[in-house]
Amino acid sequence: MHTLLVLARWEGLILLGGLFGIILWKLLTGGISLSYLLDGDVRDPDSSTGFSTHASAGRTQALMVTLFVAGYYLLQVIHNPKELPQLPAQMVAALGGSHALYLGGKARAILTGR
Amino acid sequence: MKTVEFLMLVILSVVTVFAIALWVPGPPMEKVKLALAYGGLVLLFLFGFLVLAAIASNKINISQLLEEKGTGGASMGRFQLLIFTFVIGLSFFLVVLCECKMPQIPTNVLALLGVSATTYGVGKGIQATTKDGGGGGQAGGGDNAQHD
Repeated sequence: MHTLLVLARWEGLILLGGLFGIILWKLLTGGISLSYLLDGDVRDPDSSTGFSTHASAGRTQALMVTLFVAGYYLLQVIHNPKELPQLPAQMVAALGGSHALYLGGKARAILTGR
Repeated sequence: MKTVEFLMLVILSVVTVFAIALWVPGPPMEKVKLALAYGGLVLLFLFGFLVLAAIASNKINISQLLEEKGTGGASMGRFQLLIFTFVIGLSFFLVVLCECKMPQIPTNVLALLGVSATTYGVGKGIQATTKDGGGGGQAGGGDNAQHD
């Protein structure tokens, strides 16, 4: 039964690590495109399509907060892999606020223009 | 996945089951348990490996994983959902590896995933609302397109 457990661990590690590795590799090599990730659309009557693209502060701050929270959580797990760590409620609230800001800005830009 | 490949997976798993059942010593019930467990393990591994190989060789195309439909631009909602799914999935797996048991998932982590998925959903909603209004941005190379 011990061999079965070891095999199951290795299997999970190979499959999960393989999936993460492939997606990371595709992200880094452009196989999965990240272009225009920080660009947002704004209603623009002068444009032929009715919208124009601009660098979005809302997207930038949402990306930074997301990366910070994800990195923090991963570090907590690496320090103590015995249990899933609790996230401070303030951090979840900050993430929610950040995403609300991004969505609010997006809605405002698209529906009413800058 | 082709039917031939799938059949080979099943045949390999069945062969493993029989090999374990015939050659491993022990009481019959223990042998049955071990045979089924090893068979399932082999089937799962081969199936997962085939899927991963297909993704790596682009037989399964995930190039538009982060793209909004009809645009050339990446979606922030999808990207952050991908990051949190990976981080929490990896954390869950690490804890299972270390403790050999299913961990309790803290409510804050569920809230985190909820915030992430809600952002994606609301972003899609805003975009759909704009499309109804006949809009369409020029992002992604000038197509009638908008970013999520």
